[in-house]
Amino acid sequence: MRVAFVGKGGAGKSALAGTLARVLARTGEPVLVIDSDPMPGLALSLGFPATDAGIPDDATVERADGEDGPRYRLRPGLSAAKAIELYAVAGPDDVRLLQFGKLREHVGSLMRSQHAFHQIREELPVDRWHLVGDLPGGTRQPFFGWAQFATVVLVVVEPSEKGMLSARRLARLGDDEDGPAQILAVVNKSRHRDDAARVEAGTGLRVAVTVPWDEALADAERRGLAPIDAAPDSAAVGAVACLVTQLQAGAQP
Amino acid sequence: MVADLEAGIGTLTRLADGAVDIVLIVVEPVPKSMEVGTRAAAAAAAKGIGRLVIVANRVRDAADLDAITTAFPGHEIVVVPDDGAIVEADRRGVAPLDMAPQAPAVQALSALAERLVPV
Repeated sequence: MRVAFVGKGGAGKSALAGTLARVLARTGEPVLVIDSDPMPGLALSLGFPATDAGIPDDATVERADGEDGPRYRLRPGLSAAKAIELYAVAGPDDVRLLQFGKLREHVGSLMRSQHAFHQIREELPVDRWHLVGDLPGGTRQPFFGWAQFATVVLVVVEPSEKGMLSARRLARLGDDEDGPAQILAVVNKSRHRDDAARVEAGTGLRVAVTVPWDEALADAERRGLAPIDAAPDSAAVGAVACLVTQLQAGAQP
Repeated sequence: MVADLEAGIGTLTRLADGAVDIVLIVVEPVPKSMEVGTRAAAAAAAKGIGRLVIVANRVRDAADLDAITTAFPGHEIVVVPDDGAIVEADRRGVAPLDMAPQAPAVQALSALAERLVPV
């Protein structure tokens, strides 16, 4: 399974991505989470200690004069698989988390790490892991190809007008010839029975699952805990488990 | 002039000197949000951008406010209470000020506007 979560800021991508990764890992599958948000957050939803650690600068070398290609690349002899082994952090349920580091100052400080992250994403051994990607809010990264590793893109949508406007734009990822095989909506924080129908009508996307507004999940977020640890029996975590089952069925040949 | 920047601190770190007079950092009483807000406050302070105001949003009770005041000691903090009217306005796609001008959150924002630009 290779999925990427996209959506408007605050829609709940990280909480859902973190929960999905943990649920999938509990079925005994190897899961690698790739976090391309320069702001912290996903680690907490996964139940990992928050860390700024990304890919160290010495994992990369700078392009020599006259050479083609990106300015930085993984140092000679360091494959994507080896880089994951070295730099992805292990957490609960043996989920691995790879991130390009977190921003505290100008983005230039993460330049080497970002280049390495790109290369790793492009050269990932796709059969080794189930991949769960969490992109930052908005359209920038999705339309610059940051979700191209994914066969399924999940657009997390709050059933508000603003949420649907963002989702309509993100739905155009499906028009791209390098776009995902499937692009689906996940309705989040649903409070009304007709939310899924409204989102389908408003975005043109099929709704894979509707996650209800869930006070237990909101409480987990307030406490900085992973939903699956703080509220394993909540309706929201149950909805994510349904999504995992659905994706697993869809991923069968 | 009022600018609504992208989430995170990327735009903030690229602002030119003197581009803004006041930075409003909107923070919810959840660790993820407070961590990003702390980074934004540090980045704004490092650039020496004018007045910094922490807008504590979706505050439900004293414990929520306490979490934010603890995370931002010594900062000017303005509270916007958790308010179902804002959720409903968003759902309908209308401006909260038009739909529910008397709602507590809208009142708090009106007070903030007057605080920033006294009438």
